[in-house]
Amino acid sequence: MGIFNAINISATGLSAERLRMDVISKNIANANTTRTANGGPYRRQVVTFATSDNKTPFSKFLNDATKKNVKLKGVEVTGIIDDKTPLKQVYDPGHPDANEEGYVLMPNVDTITEMTNMITATRAYEANVTAMNTIKSMAMKALEIGR
Amino acid sequence: MFKDVDILTKGLNASWKRNEVISNNIANVNTPNYKKMEVKFEELLKNQLNNKVLKGANTNERHIPIGNNRDLNYKVSTNKDYSTRRDGNNVDIDIEMADMAKNDIYYRTLSTQLNNKVQRIKLVISEGKR
Repeated sequence: MGIFNAINISATGLSAERLRMDVISKNIANANTTRTANGGPYRRQVVTFATSDNKTPFSKFLNDATKKNVKLKGVEVTGIIDDKTPLKQVYDPGHPDANEEGYVLMPNVDTITEMTNMITATRAYEANVTAMNTIKSMAMKALEIGR
Repeated sequence: MFKDVDILTKGLNASWKRNEVISNNIANVNTPNYKKMEVKFEELLKNQLNNKVLKGANTNERHIPIGNNRDLNYKVSTNKDYSTRRDGNNVDIDIEMADMAKNDIYYRTLSTQLNNKVQRIKLVISEGKR
């Protein structure tokens, strides 16, 4: 039983939520970007999470069987994926990137969605901080035993 | 002399593991299809104290003891309850935070108890010396 495993688990949660926050900020910053390196307007990006599990099947089954020394590893980011929803078409003939009919393809970023996701990420981050503080205080309490 | 200390240590171990499990649940609060985990200890201890566990009789000293106190240990299990969320995750952050607060107090209580036990043993040793 590692003392710091619990802190490491909370740290994975913190870094995952922070990355999500970074990507949300990027989406909001690029809400009106019509030119990207790949050509075309910016596409909204989504961070995908997965439980950081024991990868080898044997240790997984052994853990499930013994139900005791389950090695927990927190959360991990599996990727930053482009959102496939269609881009918005806006009628703006004066825009330099408008087509012959006067329509401009705008990014599929919805600011309200991004803001709500941002609140979720902040709250999850705060919950992880609270968890880490609790672990710290418990570990400090353990140091007092037998003193 | 150290039987109580042993039980308290088991409780502390279980509590620490529960802390780890709750941290894991909180870290995975936004992971799709994650199912929360739990640590069972108190009811196992209760069963043990009320002798509700199967115990093997030792009629010969070479018998392997079955169901003695040393087997008392926590169990980690996955809660596969249905989720009220669309992403299949069944972590309820309110319950997790409450459990974490409870577990913190539980851990502090046990470690204070253990501390008192150790102090008493120390006292006996130092007073007997005089």
